[in-house]
Amino acid sequence: MPTKRIPRLTHLQFLVLGLLRDGEQPGRVIREAIAAHGVKRSAPAFYQLMARLERDRLVDGWYEQVTVGDQAVTERRYRLRAAGARLWAEARDFYTALIDRAVERLSDA
Amino acid sequence: MPRTSAFVRLLAACLPPDARRDLFEPAIHDLYAESARTGRGTGLASVVIFLECWRLAPSEVSAMFLHDVRHALRLLVREPGFTLAAIVTLALGVGANAAVFAVVNAVLLRPLPYPDADRLVLLQHRDRRTGITKGFIAIGDFVDIRARQQSFESLGGFGAGPGTVYGQGDPFDVSSLMATSELLDALRMRPVLGRSLTADDSRAGAAPVIVLGYDLWQQRFGGSPAVVGRAITIGSTTSQIVGVAPAGFRFPQNARTDVIASIEIPVRAPAERKSGWTFGVARLKPGVTMEKALADLSAVSRQMEQEHPAANQGSEYFAIALRDWMVGDTKGALLLLLSAVSLVTLIACVNVANLLAARAVGRRQEMAIRVAMGAGRSRLIAQWLTESLVLAIVAGVVGILVAKWMIPTLVSMVPTSINLPELAGLGVDRRVLAFTAGLTLLTTIVFGLIPAMGIRIENAVGALVNPGRVTAGAAARRASSALVVIETALAIILLTGAGLVLHSFARLLAVDPGFRTDRVLALDIALPADRYREQPAREAFYARAFDSLRRLDGIESAGAAVVMPLTGNNWTVGFDRSDRPVPAGQRPPDVGWQAATGGYFAALEIPLRAGRVFDDRDRPDHQPVVVISETIRDRFFPGENPIGRRVRSDNGDAEIVGVVGDIRRASLTDQPRADMYFPLEQSPQTATTLFIRTREDPMASLEAVRAALRGIEPRIVMRDITTLDAVARESLQITRLALSLLGAFAIAALGLAAIGIYGVMSHSVRQRTREIGTRLALGASGSDILWLVMRDGVLVAALGIAIGLACGQAAARALSALLYGTSPADPLTLGLAVTVLLGVAALACYLPARRATQVDPVKTLVTQ
Repeated sequence: MPTKRIPRLTHLQFLVLGLLRDGEQPGRVIREAIAAHGVKRSAPAFYQLMARLERDRLVDGWYEQVTVGDQAVTERRYRLRAAGARLWAEARDFYTALIDRAVERLSDA
Repeated sequence: MPRTSAFVRLLAACLPPDARRDLFEPAIHDLYAESARTGRGTGLASVVIFLECWRLAPSEVSAMFLHDVRHALRLLVREPGFTLAAIVTLALGVGANAAVFAVVNAVLLRPLPYPDADRLVLLQHRDRRTGITKGFIAIGDFVDIRARQQSFESLGGFGAGPGTVYGQGDPFDVSSLMATSELLDALRMRPVLGRSLTADDSRAGAAPVIVLGYDLWQQRFGGSPAVVGRAITIGSTTSQIVGVAPAGFRFPQNARTDVIASIEIPVRAPAERKSGWTFGVARLKPGVTMEKALADLSAVSRQMEQEHPAANQGSEYFAIALRDWMVGDTKGALLLLLSAVSLVTLIACVNVANLLAARAVGRRQEMAIRVAMGAGRSRLIAQWLTESLVLAIVAGVVGILVAKWMIPTLVSMVPTSINLPELAGLGVDRRVLAFTAGLTLLTTIVFGLIPAMGIRIENAVGALVNPGRVTAGAAARRASSALVVIETALAIILLTGAGLVLHSFARLLAVDPGFRTDRVLALDIALPADRYREQPAREAFYARAFDSLRRLDGIESAGAAVVMPLTGNNWTVGFDRSDRPVPAGQRPPDVGWQAATGGYFAALEIPLRAGRVFDDRDRPDHQPVVVISETIRDRFFPGENPIGRRVRSDNGDAEIVGVVGDIRRASLTDQPRADMYFPLEQSPQTATTLFIRTREDPMASLEAVRAALRGIEPRIVMRDITTLDAVARESLQITRLALSLLGAFAIAALGLAAIGIYGVMSHSVRQRTREIGTRLALGASGSDILWLVMRDGVLVAALGIAIGLACGQAAARALSALLYGTSPADPLTLGLAVTVLLGVAALACYLPARRATQVDPVKTLVTQ
């Protein structure tokens, strides 16, 4: 049964959580992925978004050291939490229902 | 934070913790990873990320900032002594810096009032044989350069000078610009009425035309549009007014431009290439660099040298930026002073940093409490920097008031030759305010960051547990000593600079110019051209005028000349003995040119070495004669008597009738040069300069002189009335300006350094009370303690002096252009500067050292 409540997630949060459904990702990769959707954010603005998702316990974030060339660098990685997955699913259902209803009305007309 | 640069750590410390943790750190990690992938630098991008974090976290930042500002203001009120000392020190530094910058801005930075003025250049001529450089160009060379050059879109000729307008009521003076149309094109002058000059106006035989200056049009012609087409008589020439220049147009920028008259420039170079002279101003073509233009001029110079060796051998043309010509020597002096005053500001910052460092020790308990309550080191640094910023802003505001007070004094010291209209009414404008704001921020960083970086939270617990034994650590003491080393080093640089200029100035004052400047009145006169068109009329006027002047009470002698000495004039003429002419195809050597009456030598007391000076025998219709200076005799007539010999001149062979002493004609720093004098008696002019030697104050005789001249010619114009002493003083004005300000800055630096050393030593003695008490208890005498304390202070000062002397050599070389007869490494000056600074340092150490000897060992040990 699709929810009738307006989702608590913004479009951008919805997009980010959706990207994390496939598995954990570094922040840099998520930022590049949302940029491919036409959402350009500076690095601090992007991490402000991620910090809010962490604060709301929708994602987990941690630092991990990786090697680039011969240099060890650090990157922040994120993984989706259960609460994040649930909210994302609710939002998806809301939008799906919205689209279905719109399609129905168009058919009736 | 992972491994990052100190710079990035500093940026991070300035952010609130949340913004740093959530925004800055992950973003910086990404930047480092990106840098590892691409090899690009991270410096600028770090700053961009930092600024973005500030933008995104405004509420947290502003709350933290406002809290710190309130705390800083409370501290300033609570410690009035510290506050006053810090604000006065900083305000003087910032104010002096802003004042010097205001003058630098007006003279050097503000664009000249012509569109794209940085593309305007002035042509210069250099004689490779003598090294003499001058701005005026022989007319033949000018025509050829104009035709052959490929770097300039327009190259115009000009001259400037005073004139007298007749036929518009009473005669009045005007300042005229004589120019070709290309000059006005180069300056992009667009008339507000009528037309500008055209190339046809400069053709031989063209009817004379003028463009009126805007102010003259308004004041004398009521701004009437009907003025175009009317005739106006300036001097002996009646011209037609063809247009009106826009408001504010003036050229050269330091002169009024009342009228712009056309000058005649031939289309083809005349056979007599030096039949006339002009200045040349050009505008670089788009895309042409100065280097390319110089190469172009050099190539044209070589061509002309090959084609006309008799006139151009050793001649070389080049160009300088128009602004550089207008500001002359002042540029170097002003930049030097800006550097010097910056050093004073730096010393002031170092002093305040020392004060803050001393205060930091007293505030360790407060800091410990903050640490105990959870503040990190970065939070403390941010608080410390905010306190410094508040202090700097208050000092900056006071500094602006100091600058407002100093600017008029500074402007009055700028030489009148740099009489830029922008200097009148110069004040604190937006640019100066921006400069002061930037300087305030910079000082915050310099004096605020040093003590802030010394904060160590690891020791906080100790400070909290045992507040009574809070002392500065060895690191803090070393930091204080380092600050003293820095300010002593800066002070010795300023002190030696001021000493060198003082030494140089003393030498300049002692220079014998070869003539006497005291008690000589000098004034320019212009006779109405309509009445004195004929030579006999002019001859008769001068005969009556000199006769009348010599009869006046208090007048010893009077004469006239064309070139005013000590004003940088380098006019030359070829010297060619009639009996030994230079071989065909070679150019005769240049010697200085002057036209003067016999009375000129008497008025200036230029000594006669042989023969006679000009007198009544030298009438226009008589045999041409010249007088030469000693150097000409020594160089061209070695072992011969030159009297009676002949030299070639424009009027045929002239007989040498006298030899006079050499003078330093262009400036006091000039070497005495070979000069050849032509008699004004043989070619009296309608305009010349009178030189009148008086028995008392020359200005006291001015009214009598005016009356005598008006008695002979009521319509005579007298202008630029001065004394030769004033001219000599003006010629030294740049050196005087540098001396006054460098001297003031050096004294300020000395005072600040003394206060700094005193402060550090006093603080050190307080911190070492226990040690001193113990030493005294163990048998050390008062003199031992005195030596202990003074040795430390003087050693630190000596180290600063050594470093300053090493660094100061580069600074002294920059001074070279202002020095005369003084080496930048002058041992006497350096020795004196070192002695003075060491003496002051010793005195500053003595008072705290003496206090240290009075420590009561028993009381100290019991207390501790």
